[in-house]
Amino acid sequence: MDERQVGALRFQLDLSQPIYEQIVEQMSRAILRGDIGLGEKIPSVRELAQGLRVTPNTVMHAYQEMERQGLTETRRGQGTFITSSRQRVEAFRQQEAHRVVTEFLAKMRSLGFTEAEIIEQLRSRRQEEEMQ
Amino acid sequence: MTDIAVACKQVSKRYGAKTALDHLDITIPRGHVVGVLGPNGAGKSTFFRMLAGLVQPDAGVVEVLGQRPGWRANENIAYLPDRARWYPDHTTEQAFQWAERFLPAFDRAVAERLASLMQLDLTLQAGGMSRGQEARLMLILCVARRVPLIILDEPFSGIDVVSREQIVDALMEHICDGDKTVLISTHEIHEVEALFDSVIFLGDGRLQLAGEADALRRQYGSMREIVKRLHLGGEQQ
Repeated sequence: MDERQVGALRFQLDLSQPIYEQIVEQMSRAILRGDIGLGEKIPSVRELAQGLRVTPNTVMHAYQEMERQGLTETRRGQGTFITSSRQRVEAFRQQEAHRVVTEFLAKMRSLGFTEAEIIEQLRSRRQEEEMQ
Repeated sequence: MTDIAVACKQVSKRYGAKTALDHLDITIPRGHVVGVLGPNGAGKSTFFRMLAGLVQPDAGVVEVLGQRPGWRANENIAYLPDRARWYPDHTTEQAFQWAERFLPAFDRAVAERLASLMQLDLTLQAGGMSRGQEARLMLILCVARRVPLIILDEPFSGIDVVSREQIVDALMEHICDGDKTVLISTHEIHEVEALFDSVIFLGDGRLQLAGEADALRRQYGSMREIVKRLHLGGEQQ
């Protein structure tokens, strides 16, 4: 795992996984956590590529993917910006939650848990956490 | 200009009893940074020397930037041979002067900027340079040429970590200038594999695996792991 910092953004790159996906994932999380504010400018493809020491084509690929997800927008001649729409970010957050829950449910079902048992698991986990 | 930087069709080369390249089929699109990986003796250097017109194939067809390899094609190629050295009595500055006169499309301003970026003293003589310093000089002489194809054979071997990082940074500058095709062979895979758009794996003169770097990562893991797996028990540094 290589840790690299570009401006305020910190990345951890695992060279055994597709790099463009890691850039998308880590930038999306930075947006959801609020590390990068709405409407803020993000590094240019060149800046991020040089900062991460990653081929610019990979960074471009990642930026296209984020734009497709509605997280960023490119303003001609000005660069790439985080969307200024809170709804878009919220929509993305919901979509991510949906994805994580789907994965979680699939795993639990493959372990033979029924819906009621899964809910029971979640409840008891919450109680455990509250006790701590 | 064609969209293909390098095309090899059924290329073979033998040195006596030793097969260096064995029916090699390779197509490299323009604008890609390509890792050419494999153990020693896999045929990487022969492949590069063929692109530079220094070795003729026994069979098959080689095209580089739409031309047959040779002096005319070499105007558009910057080639750094393995273990390259410079004239020992030249200073960095004299090397740049020489390059300006004899290397097509050499940009002295770029070279001087890179020398300062890589902390290479202009008044230092090549004969008095460390291996890392001389490697940096050799890299600058390649990368400061405004040519569409750069071929680097083991640019990192025997070089300290700091010099390696500086070489990677200089390469990044060059790559980011757009539409540049760069071929790099190296055993120091970890340092550069994130620069690769695609990778070619050679073994015993044959193409073993090739593909887009992120697609290969998804399927098999890091480039270093792939080389290890392909050549388990083979020679590795």
